[in-house]
Amino acid sequence: MAIDRRRPKPSRRSHFVIRETLLLLFLLLICAPSPSSSSSSSSSSMHNNNWAVLVCTSRFWFNYRHMANTLSLYRTVKRLGIPDERIILMLADDMACNARNTYPAQVFNNENHQLNLYGDNVEVDYRGYEVTVENFLRVLTGRHDSAVPRSKRLLSDEGSHILLYMTGHGGDEFLKFQDSEELQSHDLADVVKQMKEKNRFKELLIMVDTCQAATLFSQLNSPGVLAIGSSMKGENSYSHHLDSDIGVSVVDRFTFYTLTFFEKLNMYSNASLNSLFASYNPTLLMSTAYYRTDLYERPLNEDRSCSSYEWLKVLQDRLADEKSDTIVMYGLGTMILLLTVSTWLST
Amino acid sequence: MANLLIFIADFVTAMLIRATGQKLLLSRRQSLEYLNLPKLVKNSANINAGDLASLIYLWNPLTIVTCLGLCSSPIDNLMVVLTIYAACSRLAPLAAFGYVLATHLSLYPAILILPVILLLGYGPDAPPAKLFLHKSSNSDGKDPSNNDESRSAVTTHKPVRCFSRRPVVHFMIWVSIWSCYVLFLCSIYLKGLGGLQEMFKKTYGFILTVGDLSPNIGVLWYFFAEVFEFFRNFFLIVFHVNILFMILPLAIRLKHRPCFLAFVYTAISAMLKSYPSVGDSALYLGLLGLFANELADMQFSFFLFFGYIGVSLLSPVMHNLWIWRGTGNANFYFATGLVYSCLQTVLIVESVSTMLKHDRMLRKHVIA
Repeated sequence: MAIDRRRPKPSRRSHFVIRETLLLLFLLLICAPSPSSSSSSSSSSMHNNNWAVLVCTSRFWFNYRHMANTLSLYRTVKRLGIPDERIILMLADDMACNARNTYPAQVFNNENHQLNLYGDNVEVDYRGYEVTVENFLRVLTGRHDSAVPRSKRLLSDEGSHILLYMTGHGGDEFLKFQDSEELQSHDLADVVKQMKEKNRFKELLIMVDTCQAATLFSQLNSPGVLAIGSSMKGENSYSHHLDSDIGVSVVDRFTFYTLTFFEKLNMYSNASLNSLFASYNPTLLMSTAYYRTDLYERPLNEDRSCSSYEWLKVLQDRLADEKSDTIVMYGLGTMILLLTVSTWLST
Repeated sequence: MANLLIFIADFVTAMLIRATGQKLLLSRRQSLEYLNLPKLVKNSANINAGDLASLIYLWNPLTIVTCLGLCSSPIDNLMVVLTIYAACSRLAPLAAFGYVLATHLSLYPAILILPVILLLGYGPDAPPAKLFLHKSSNSDGKDPSNNDESRSAVTTHKPVRCFSRRPVVHFMIWVSIWSCYVLFLCSIYLKGLGGLQEMFKKTYGFILTVGDLSPNIGVLWYFFAEVFEFFRNFFLIVFHVNILFMILPLAIRLKHRPCFLAFVYTAISAMLKSYPSVGDSALYLGLLGLFANELADMQFSFFLFFGYIGVSLLSPVMHNLWIWRGTGNANFYFATGLVYSCLQTVLIVESVSTMLKHDRMLRKHVIA
C-alpha cells in the first residue's frame, strides 16, 4: 500500500550490477543467433546431393555380423533421408535366406530382435559373387560396361557428399573380399584420386569397420576426404555380442556405437562430425577409433572471425559439441545462484 | 525421482500461497484500521486466509490427481504462485524469474504481467483508492477531534496509493535478463535438434494453432474438429482473443486488488486455454481460498461445490463410455466439458461480483 522506504545503498549497488549485466546482455542480444547452414569456403561447387555406398565383403554364416552391420547402416542412412536410388548396397552373401537362419527372411543386429533389418524395403544392388574388388572399383570410378543398369552405377557429381562404408575382415593395408581377393590401401587411394580427378564427389566420408582399419587410409592423398577407422594398426576390431538364438555374433562394436550416435538424430539434425568422434569410447570399443581429417578442407570447427555474430555462433557450436547436458546443468545452477543472490540483494 | 520433485513443487506452492495470504491479511488489516473500521475486522469472518488457501490447494482432489499422474502442472503452478508471492513482497528479481519461467513453460501466464505490475507498483490488495481520499478529506474537514488520530495515521502509512515506478523498472530489467538467459540455455540444449525456431514452433506454435484435437476437458477440440479449413484461422483468433479482450476491462475495474485480478486471470485462462488440465483448476481453486474473507457471502457456493464434484466424477465416466466401451459418443463427453466451463464461468462471475459488493459495502461504511 505505502511506498516502501528502502536502504539506499544496496539498491544502488544492485542497480549498478544490473546495469553491467544488462550491457553485456544487450551486446549478446544484438548478435542474436539464428539457425543457418554453413557454407563451404573452399570449392566453388555447392553441395546438392548425398550418396551412400555400403559394402559388406564377407561371406559364410559366421560372418553374419558384417551383413547386419551393413544392413543397419543402410537402414540408418535411409531413415536420415537418402533414398534407394542414391544408395549402392553390396552384400557378399545372403544371410536372410540362409539355410542356417532360424528366422527366415529376417536379419537382426541385436539379440533383443527388436528390429528386422531385412524388411520388404531393402534393395540390394550387388549381391553374392557380384561383390568383387573389380566391381567395387568400377562402381567408384564409374567405368562400367554399357550394359550395366543405372541402379548399379554411382551417378554422383561434383556436388555430391558420399558415404563409403566397408566392413568385413581386414589387416595391415588390406581388406579381404569374399575370402579370395584383397583390396589394398594403394588401390583405395588410387580410386579416390581418380574420383577426385573426375569430380565425382565434393566430400567423401569413408568408414571402415575391420581389424586394423586405419592402415587402409595410409595412402590416401586427395582433398575433401574424411576417413574413420575402427581400429589402429596392430589392433583387432571386436564383435559386440553373441546372439545365442541365432548362434553367431550379430553386430560389431564400432558399428554398434556409431548406430547409437545416429539413433539420436533425425533428418533435420545438425550434429557435427566432432560429436561423432567424441562419442567413441576406446574402452567400450576395445580398440582405438582412428580418424583422419588432414585431407578435409573445411575445418570441423568454424574459424574465429571478427564479427560478434560469428563469435556467438562459434561459442554455441563449441558448447553444443561438447557435453551440452553438463553445460546446461551448470547454467541452471548458475541461474539458481543468481536468483538467490539477487533476491537477497533486493530485500 | 519425478514423484519427489512434484511433491516438493506442490509443498512449496502451498507455502508460498500461505505467505501471500499472510501479506494480504496484513495489508487488509492495515487498510481497515486506517479507514477506522475496526468493527469490521472483528465482526466479519476473520479466517486466516493464507492457511485456508494452502490447505485447499494441498487437499484438493484435483491437485492430488495431478500429482499422482506425474504431470508437469505442479511446476507451472509453482512458477505462477512464485510470481504472485514475489510481486506481493516487492521482490523484483524473484517475480521476474517466476514470470519468465511460467510464460516459458506454458504461454498463458503471460497475461499476468498486468497484475504483477500493479502489485509491484501499488502493493497488495486494498479497498479502492477513492475510499482513502474520501477518508482523508473527511478527517481534514469534518472531524477535528479525529485530527490527531488521522495525522498519526498519515505519518505511519501514506494514505494515497501512488504508483512507485522503481520496482516496475527493476522488474522489466530482470525479465529481460532472465528471458535472455533461459533462451540461451535452450538454444544450447537444442542445437542439434533445430534450435530455438523449432522450439517456438513446437511449443508456442502448437498451443496457438491447436494442432492436436484429442478430447480434453476444454471446449476447443469439439469446435475445431468440425470447423472448415477456410475459417480455421479466423476462429483461432476468436478463441484466443476471447481471453485477451477480458484483460483490460478487468484490470480497469479491479486495479486496486491486483492479487484478486491475478486469480481471475488464472481462472479465465484455465477455462479458455487451448489445452486445459485439472492442474490449472487446482491452481485457481487454491488461490480462491486467499480471498475467503471478502468472498464469504458468495452466492451459489453450494451449487458450485457440488457441481465441481459432480463433473469430476461424471467426466471420466463419459470418456470411458465414449472411447473404451463405445456405447456413448462425443456429445456425452463434451457435455461434461460444457458443464465444467459453465461452472467455472459462474465461479468467476460470482466471485468478481461478490468482491465488488464487498467494496461497495466498505464504501457505505466509510461514508456513513
